[in-house]
Amino acid sequence: MSSKESRFRLLKHEGVKGTFIICPGLCKGCGLCLERCPHDVIDWSEELGIYGTPRAAPARMDDCIACGICQLVCPDSAILIQKKQKKKA
Amino acid sequence: MDKGGTMPLSWHRESKPHKFCPGCGHGLVLKVLGELIDEMDLRERLLFGCDIGCSLLAWNFFNVDSVQTHHGRTTPVMVGLKRGKPDMVALAYMGDGAAYAIGSQHLVNAAYRNENIFILVVNNTVYAMTGGQMSPTTLAGQKTETSPYGRDTELAGQPTRGAEMMAAIAAEGAYVARGSVARMIQLKKFMKKALENQLAGRGLSFLEALSTCPTNWRTNARETWRFLEEDMAAYYPLGELSGPGKEVRGS
Repeated sequence: MSSKESRFRLLKHEGVKGTFIICPGLCKGCGLCLERCPHDVIDWSEELGIYGTPRAAPARMDDCIACGICQLVCPDSAILIQKKQKKKA
Repeated sequence: MDKGGTMPLSWHRESKPHKFCPGCGHGLVLKVLGELIDEMDLRERLLFGCDIGCSLLAWNFFNVDSVQTHHGRTTPVMVGLKRGKPDMVALAYMGDGAAYAIGSQHLVNAAYRNENIFILVVNNTVYAMTGGQMSPTTLAGQKTETSPYGRDTELAGQPTRGAEMMAAIAAEGAYVARGSVARMIQLKKFMKKALENQLAGRGLSFLEALSTCPTNWRTNARETWRFLEEDMAAYYPLGELSGPGKEVRGS
């Protein structure tokens, strides 16, 4: 059994519009976010997730618009999108 | 980042990842509920009652007082708790089998008495925990373990439209709505209104959430969304059916 800290370790992926944060210890690899992503940013990971299946991983972060739909539809609450603040002119 | 990481603060972290299957809609419904517990500051006030079936896997889901009851009996247990502790917020959480089959007597009578509790029904069209048998809400023609050639409506009748039934018998002040995990923002709005209805003491709050069961539907992610948004939504229309200031249908 992994310790509490490693179970909820977070991976951060920086993008242009925001940061995609995923908790590999929570993602069961259902794929609901892959289908919902409007810009096809998310793909399957090389490493296996908590259930021994590939998990969701952002493969094309340049296309991510930080809309947060993946965070909204994740049943395991494994994804967090942090939008970058717009710089005021 | 907040202390909850990616999860709502009201989620019980020790029990995560939760026990629901990958892609299960229970997680989505309970995420919305968890966010509302945080936002409405209900952690010390909510009484969470869950039923038999997949919904019982939520028994240690939240950092709130929880009780797990017999099949279909969550409604009367929560009615009793609410009557004994009127300041608390009582939530009866169950699946479609518990609500519309074995527990429908309690559902109907609670609606007639306009009990001041919140009944949250997760409708995934099957008895999921026991292996995907046909339930009252299984769609016409839908294949399950016990309807391998599809639900025959001549033999098994039409699927139960529970929210419409509740709206038809609900008293004035009761809130009845149907949401879907395919529309999370709308679902959250409905759930917030249902909780507010109870906090205002207006009577019964009833919300049916259309949900997913990829394990027993035997669907991949794409087909799961399609079945939920096309097949299910066509028979179970989304929206508010009854609420304060709104005319009760069927009266």
